[in-house]
Amino acid sequence: MSSAKAGINMVSFHPDSRFLTDFASGSLATSEAICVAAHLEFCAKCRAHVQQLSDLGAQIMTRIEPEEAVDADDEGFARLMQKIDDDAVHQQAEVPAPVVSAAPAQGLSLPRVVQKLAQGSIQSLNWVQLGKSLRIAPVNVGDGVRQTSLYDIRAGGQMPEHEHRGEEITVLLKGSFSDAEGKYVRGDFVVRHAGEKHQPTATMDTDCICLVSLERPVKPSSIWYRLLEPFVQFRLSGFSN
Amino acid sequence: MENNDDMDNVASAQAATNRAPDPWADLVRQVAQKRDRAAFQQLYKHYTPLIRAFLLKSMGAGGDRSEAEEITQEVLIKVWNKAASFNPAKASVNTWIFTIARNTRIDFIRRNERNDRKIEIEDIWHEPESPEPLVDLQQRRAEQVIRQAITSLPDEQLQVLYKAFMEGKSHNEVAEEMDLPLGTVKSRIRLALSKLQILIDR
Repeated sequence: MSSAKAGINMVSFHPDSRFLTDFASGSLATSEAICVAAHLEFCAKCRAHVQQLSDLGAQIMTRIEPEEAVDADDEGFARLMQKIDDDAVHQQAEVPAPVVSAAPAQGLSLPRVVQKLAQGSIQSLNWVQLGKSLRIAPVNVGDGVRQTSLYDIRAGGQMPEHEHRGEEITVLLKGSFSDAEGKYVRGDFVVRHAGEKHQPTATMDTDCICLVSLERPVKPSSIWYRLLEPFVQFRLSGFSN
Repeated sequence: MENNDDMDNVASAQAATNRAPDPWADLVRQVAQKRDRAAFQQLYKHYTPLIRAFLLKSMGAGGDRSEAEEITQEVLIKVWNKAASFNPAKASVNTWIFTIARNTRIDFIRRNERNDRKIEIEDIWHEPESPEPLVDLQQRRAEQVIRQAITSLPDEQLQVLYKAFMEGKSHNEVAEEMDLPLGTVKSRIRLALSKLQILIDR
């Protein structure tokens, strides 16, 4: 079942059935859905599941008993075609929108949704440097609930140990990192829950870039980062407007 | 319908799954190639009540009828405009239209949210796509299994799937509404999915 692409990446952490079902039914919050969409580009197996779940949605839709049998009538159809013809006239007058060329940054191929968030170049995001090895770029996805960011951890860099106050989703876009639970590579979809504490470290050979969706801000464990925390939260929230 | 590779793939996919061809696919093709209004009207007659019912259900008590009408029209306009992008090897017309309706619904719900619109709904929720004919073939087989097995699901399981897909409710919302633990909702859905041979091993 697994394609060559998935085999090369060795993606081994995936969204569970709740994420995939809520994604396919369209009820997943934007921030989480962006993470699932990013993972899907690395994982043929999850793509297949989402397609099957969409088939299931379609089967359920076609089994609906419509409340009224009528009014897919000729008159309604005439109105629809009138609207289509009107729109067509408008569209001819408009200059076609240029296709956003999402040029890969330094040979790094980012998932489509991340390219759109970064508008082609992740360098142009509003990066906030936190210590030597970590910088964070918050992105506004209009979710209003969760915080979405890109993390860039320098090769060999260690993040401050922190405890989660809510759910955190991390999708690895480049490089790899490890913590006490294991090692994570490109494409992995890693979920941490409230109360879990960890200290991720990027592997030595390459910088690590992640997409992160946070339900609530994390709580750093070390004194130094706790002192820094109000400042960091202030900086981050300043960008999310 | 010339004998290009795509069409060969479709033919072999249909032979291999040993199933009746999708009765709606030909109509979509006529819309795409000939802008055939009579073909489109047949699609319109069949799908309009389904799309409207889907949108009415998913917009809940807050959704009013005229909004549902408006969005139904939007979905059908997309069907007309995007007909050329429909690929019968990859998905049935049912699935294709469901994903268009689902995406239009998400878009409608988010229009009122504060959002600088860097990303569009379809950057996240794509229409079905996969690069390999073999994968497509497996998908079409899976779809057939789903269609047959869905009739044998217990009501209890069908009910949660219905709330998820028709009413657009998340696991959390279904749990809250039915006054069930989240774990129960999750396991009911997983049981249903395994009967439909959607084998998510997590």
